[in-house]
Amino acid sequence: MVLSATTDGGQRSIRRNGSFGYVVPALLLIAFFFIIPVLMLLMRSVLEPTPGLQNYQELLGSTTYLRVFLNTFTVAGLVTVVAVVIGFPVAWLLAIMPDKWSRLVMAIIVLSMWTNLLARTYAWMVLLQRTGVVNKMLISLGIIDKPLALVNNLVGVTIGMTYIMLPFVILPLIGILKSIDPAILRAAALCGANKRQCFTRVLLPLSLPGIASGALMVFVMSLGYYVTPALLGGTSNMMLAELVAQFVQSLVNWGMGGAAALVLLLVTMVLYAIQLKFLNPNRVR
Amino acid sequence: MTQPFLSIRGIRKTYGQVTAVKNVSLDVAQGEFMTFLGPSGSGKSTTLYILAGFQDPTDGDILLNGQSLLSTPSHKRNIGMVFQRYTLFPHLTVGENVAFPLRIRRVGQAEIAERVKKALKLVRLEGFEDRKPALMSGGQQQRVALARALVYNPPVLLMDEPLSALDKKLREEIQFEIRRIHQETGVTILYVTHDQEEALRLSDRIAVFSQGEIDQIGTGPELYANPATHFVAGFIGDSNFINAEILSSADGKAKLSLPGGTVIDGVPMHAGKAGGKSASLLLRPERLSLSSTQVGNGLAVTINDITFLGNNIEVSTLTGSGESLSVRLPFGHEAISSISRGDQAWLSFEPKSTHAFA
Ligand SMILES: Nc1ncnc2c1ncn2[C@@H]1O[C@H](COP(=O)(O)OP(=O)(O)O)[C@@H](O)[C@H]1O
Ligand SMILES: [Mg+2]
Repeated sequence: MVLSATTDGGQRSIRRNGSFGYVVPALLLIAFFFIIPVLMLLMRSVLEPTPGLQNYQELLGSTTYLRVFLNTFTVAGLVTVVAVVIGFPVAWLLAIMPDKWSRLVMAIIVLSMWTNLLARTYAWMVLLQRTGVVNKMLISLGIIDKPLALVNNLVGVTIGMTYIMLPFVILPLIGILKSIDPAILRAAALCGANKRQCFTRVLLPLSLPGIASGALMVFVMSLGYYVTPALLGGTSNMMLAELVAQFVQSLVNWGMGGAAALVLLLVTMVLYAIQLKFLNPNRVR
Repeated sequence: MTQPFLSIRGIRKTYGQVTAVKNVSLDVAQGEFMTFLGPSGSGKSTTLYILAGFQDPTDGDILLNGQSLLSTPSHKRNIGMVFQRYTLFPHLTVGENVAFPLRIRRVGQAEIAERVKKALKLVRLEGFEDRKPALMSGGQQQRVALARALVYNPPVLLMDEPLSALDKKLREEIQFEIRRIHQETGVTILYVTHDQEEALRLSDRIAVFSQGEIDQIGTGPELYANPATHFVAGFIGDSNFINAEILSSADGKAKLSLPGGTVIDGVPMHAGKAGGKSASLLLRPERLSLSSTQVGNGLAVTINDITFLGNNIEVSTLTGSGESLSVRLPFGHEAISSISRGDQAWLSFEPKSTHAFA
């Protein structure tokens, strides 16, 4: 609510001061580098090879491509769920930890976000491969006797992407959890609620807006992810971004590539609209 | 000997180097309104938190009806509490907030509705069931919190400075409500405040906290008339202190020499260290009288200021040795007409009505 007050105020004051003109160059830049390419893509998707909607028909009509869509949603959904399930307790720990320690951990998280994405993904490849550290450790601990297939499949993609997406769940949640007064949880305990009830009936509902917006962000980002699925995923679970790349790079089929990219964009924008409508933090709960 | 209802026995609590509570022992009778009064940091909240089960004491025990509470976790103690900060669940309505403890206890739907209604009626908030806490004033929120804490009929209700965030007028209004609710429900209340007026207005008995210890327990009038320590004397009621020399002391009475040379005898003496030479003498402003001529035991003073306070008049005076003493006289007292600023006057008192603290 504090946040919303400042953003609202900010927007209003820009209009009031009539300084709208100063953002025109920025708007032109966005138009040039974002909107125009998208429009061009749209044109090519309906004009190539011949004018019409046949690219979209093919994309949405064929089981091969529908499987890619399904796979994209599965990976994004899986990553979102795992990221929230791991991210929530981590955020809670960071929220109740002494500041000195939580700042250190947060610095490590942010630092990892600044590290090159390719480097981080290759690192996972090394860790997860058949002779990698993870398999070796599991074998030496006697948990498994043959190495598990952890890369070039759904497991690899999920692990790699969850790792990359976790900060987007953790960082905003810390703020939300910190804003919950511990006295409220004490009150719940004296009302008779045990630890589990305090969690499900008080802590969880109070942090739900934060969880939901973090989850949606991760989901949307995951839908369009390319590098990690390309490196850690297998051929049988291709994601939409990989499909786009394949159309454009290998098949030089701009029509299909454009159509796939625009479908992805559309899904993303619909989800964003849902977020604005239902998870708007400005709304009085 | 009958067993006390609630018994706090030798509670001590340390946080590393800090001793929050040194040694607190106290028995509370069923239905009693007991207040912990003391300055900030004197260990009141810590004691209450130990009762609630949020903290474990380093030493000591707490017995309710003879049973130790310490091994029972907070959520099974069945104790009610109203906190200093607003602790209503923001995602629930007022009605759902009050119903919360009953839902947890799996009380039937119809009974919940009835008891929530009754509890809200008790705090005079009928009809507010569907409001969200964020849309209510601070005073209303604390009343809902009170309803939520009472709806499950706890044997003990803890209140940790519940009114400190409210303005004075509202505070007095809710103090009155709390008194009424205490009388109507008969619940045993442990109330924490740093406001002596609030403590005196509400309590059956007051435990005065100072630096992690209870200095004295008693009714308001007892604490006022017979303070056990210098601290209690200064904390309850208005007070003047002057230094005096102990000439002799025996059987709790002392013979003292005052700065002007006057010697008084039969002064109640507290916490006397054997061989202590000097004492602090408590003079209540309303127990002092002023006259233009020397009468009885007292001190020569200079009138420094005269302030009209409605039903009484406060005269501030300076002794020969530069100590300032305030005197409170009822409006219309004959001394008023005969004195003015800068005059010399004689300030007198009954030695019996004073207290010396060594
Ligand atoms: N969790 C804690 N850690 C360290 N010191 C504490 C903690 N809680 C209270 N204290 C210290 O214990 C003392 C008593 O605190 P408290 O019981 O809150 O006092 P009061 O309620 O009378 O103002 C204070 O000096 C406070 O700083
Ligand atoms: Mg306190």
